Amino acid sequence: MSAAQRLYRLRWVVLPPLTGIGILAMLVGAVVAAPRELVEGDVQRLMYIHIPSAFAMYLAVAVLFAASIMVLWKRDMRWDAAARGAAGVGVLFSGFALATGSLWGKPTWGVYWQWDARLTSTLVLFLILIAYLLARTVSDPDDEQSARYSAVYAIVGSLDVPLIMMSVRWWRTLHPQPIVARLDPQLPGSMGLVLLISTIAILLLTVWLIALRTDTERLGQRLLGLRAAVDRREEA
Amino acid sequence: MDGQLGYLFAGFAVFWAGLFVYLLLLQARIRTLSREVERLEDRLEEAEATGTPPRTGAGR
Repeated sequence: MSAAQRLYRLRWVVLPPLTGIGILAMLVGAVVAAPRELVEGDVQRLMYIHIPSAFAMYLAVAVLFAASIMVLWKRDMRWDAAARGAAGVGVLFSGFALATGSLWGKPTWGVYWQWDARLTSTLVLFLILIAYLLARTVSDPDDEQSARYSAVYAIVGSLDVPLIMMSVRWWRTLHPQPIVARLDPQLPGSMGLVLLISTIAILLLTVWLIALRTDTERLGQRLLGLRAAVDRREEA
Repeated sequence: MDGQLGYLFAGFAVFWAGLFVYLLLLQARIRTLSREVERLEDRLEEAEATGTPPRTGAGR
């Protein structure tokens, strides 16, 4: 058994307690420990959910991208289960990034929504992921042809992520330039530390949710296999 | 800026409520699937104990 397989087997032992501790630290950090921002006030604390949610969305799409390549390469439906799991979690966190960004935008920009490049490309990714899930839902979990078509769609759809990341650099947007994903981070140390803790906590939560969703999808595939076996048994 | 606390509360509420509902739905789905898998496995076991075994193995 490879090291990766051994690590995957430990997911239910390691991930829940680590995620719990991380989320608790994130809450204390975001609500109590982080200093109040002078210009925006307390509403700026939304940053500790908004930015990690965006990173979680990127992680989920990276897993979807990798699993979709494996579906096409290995033709193994276990990778399709992982792709569907990641897409579901991607919808959740892109929804969180959009919703918290909107609620942060209203008091700071004066509007909930602006059709600028960053917001619009994130909304497009959210819709791409929903369309992927819809396409996989209307076909059987063990339909290999549908899985392959969906994998191609997911790989093309994932190309929206670099567009989202570069949008604030390529176009003039209301959304600010990156403050952490750069060589000289623009946050004071204490805020940066809380943001780092929040990001680690939410990324752990993302990995846990993807593993949980993947196992659920594989359970669905197993159920179909069992149904087919029972049908064959009854016909015999 | 104190009037903006409502937005902060709403943002945290959306996140935690969304996560909670998502986990509840996922748990319900896992429970339904597990029960159905268990039921079909029992049915297959019974069939194998009493009659001829299925022609092929049970799924992936």
